[in-house]
Amino acid sequence: MPDPKKNGLLTAVLSALAAMFGVQSDRNRQKDFSSGSPLRYLLTGVLMAALFVVGVILLVRLALMLAGA
Amino acid sequence: MIRKVWLLPWIGWLVSLPAIAAWDVNMRPGSTAIAREVYDLHMIIFWICVAIGVVVFGVMFWSIIHHRKSRGAEARNFHENTAVEILWTLIPFAILIAMAVPATATLIKMYDNTDAEIDIQVTGYQWKWRYQYLGEDIDFFSSLATSREQINNEAPKGEHYLLEVDNPLVLPVGKKVRFLFTANDVIHSWWVPDLSVKKDAIPGFINESWAIPEEPGIYRGQCTELCGRDHGFMPIVVDVRPQAEFDQWLADTRSAAAAQKASATQEWTLAQLMERGEQVYNTSCAACHQANGQGIPGAFPALAGSPMVTGDIGAHIDIVLHGKAGTAMQAFGAQLNAVDLAAVITYERNAWGNDTGDSVSPQRITELQQ
Ligand code: HEC
Ligand SMILES: [Cu+2]
Repeated sequence: MPDPKKNGLLTAVLSALAAMFGVQSDRNRQKDFSSGSPLRYLLTGVLMAALFVVGVILLVRLALMLAGA
Repeated sequence: MIRKVWLLPWIGWLVSLPAIAAWDVNMRPGSTAIAREVYDLHMIIFWICVAIGVVVFGVMFWSIIHHRKSRGAEARNFHENTAVEILWTLIPFAILIAMAVPATATLIKMYDNTDAEIDIQVTGYQWKWRYQYLGEDIDFFSSLATSREQINNEAPKGEHYLLEVDNPLVLPVGKKVRFLFTANDVIHSWWVPDLSVKKDAIPGFINESWAIPEEPGIYRGQCTELCGRDHGFMPIVVDVRPQAEFDQWLADTRSAAAAQKASATQEWTLAQLMERGEQVYNTSCAACHQANGQGIPGAFPALAGSPMVTGDIGAHIDIVLHGKAGTAMQAFGAQLNAVDLAAVITYERNAWGNDTGDSVSPQRITELQQ
């Protein structure tokens, strides 16, 4: 595992993904909770939720385009 | 021998299977292609659920019995297992997707309202349905035909108790019919299981659905959105006929409507109006004002002895034609024809001891309607 201090963004993204999926290992959870400010996790979470919504919209657009509507 | 006792409930269950089938608890297979697809989806998903239940409960009970305390099982204390958690998230996800794919395919078909050969506007009223065949000049109301005596336990109940109407919706076999649903007062919902059509009828909105009836016959349904006091008393009857009989019905219905118009210009005697008026009253008014004209105190006024009904004839005609805004009293001017209106007003003015001797002519109503 990379050092959370060095590779903060990647861990935050992975943790947000784990949260969206609903499963996270206890080891990672302990690490996240001891890595200082929660703000980074909150912001990443909100950003990824927005990305998810945009992704769904694009997927529907694509499906409609392929269906010729 | 004694060890086989546990088999008994299972044998009992197997023996009773035919009885359960006859009990009719399952969804109906329906009588259109879409209805059969919906039924098949329902059965596939049902059996998937059964399989999941058997596996999950099987593993659970096997574990409980196999690791029982009397065999010296020791509990293992651990907090989590990420691999198992991922597995039990992915498996249901895969099952849900596998069920969603065929279900969505059917839904897309159900929403394809194009290429209909007949358009029918269905309007929900408290408490009846109105059917307008768009472009065909056919427009009628369909009300409950079960008698008040049966409802009040004063007569034995018939075979189609509360599932029979005076004017069924008539459809030809094998044609795509598009329904446009809306409502006049509150939200209703039009549901005919055999056609696999169930749609909300909402005031100010139009919802669409369609069906291609395949077999001539009578199909029954009900309003399925709680819509007030007589929600359970506004059934649906669909009468599917071969094309030739349907065409005949169209012609007959049109000429009956024309005859109706003509009869509004004839002279009607008090006795004729009374007889007709009683029928109209019982189908259109008795739900609220009651067959004996006593109404329901606090909700629907009594018409027997009412100062309006025994007094000012103009005000009486006005409230029946135009209703009273903000109350359950609807504008019947748009729902009943001139003869029915004249008859029901005459009936109210002379029934239940109101004995005013007044008779209202259809001509008078026709003039007011113009
Ligand atoms: C959905 C229930 C309902 C139905 C059906 C209904 N009415 Fe009414 N009616 C009412 C209510 C409620 C009032 C009282 C309105 C008010 O608050 O003034 C009323 C009032 C009346 C009055 C005035 C009575 C008075 O003394 O002021 C007449 C006349 C009348 N209705 C005739 C009819 C006729 C004729 C029909 C059938 C064609 C009919 N009603 C069907 C609910 C109903
Ligand atoms: Cu209703």
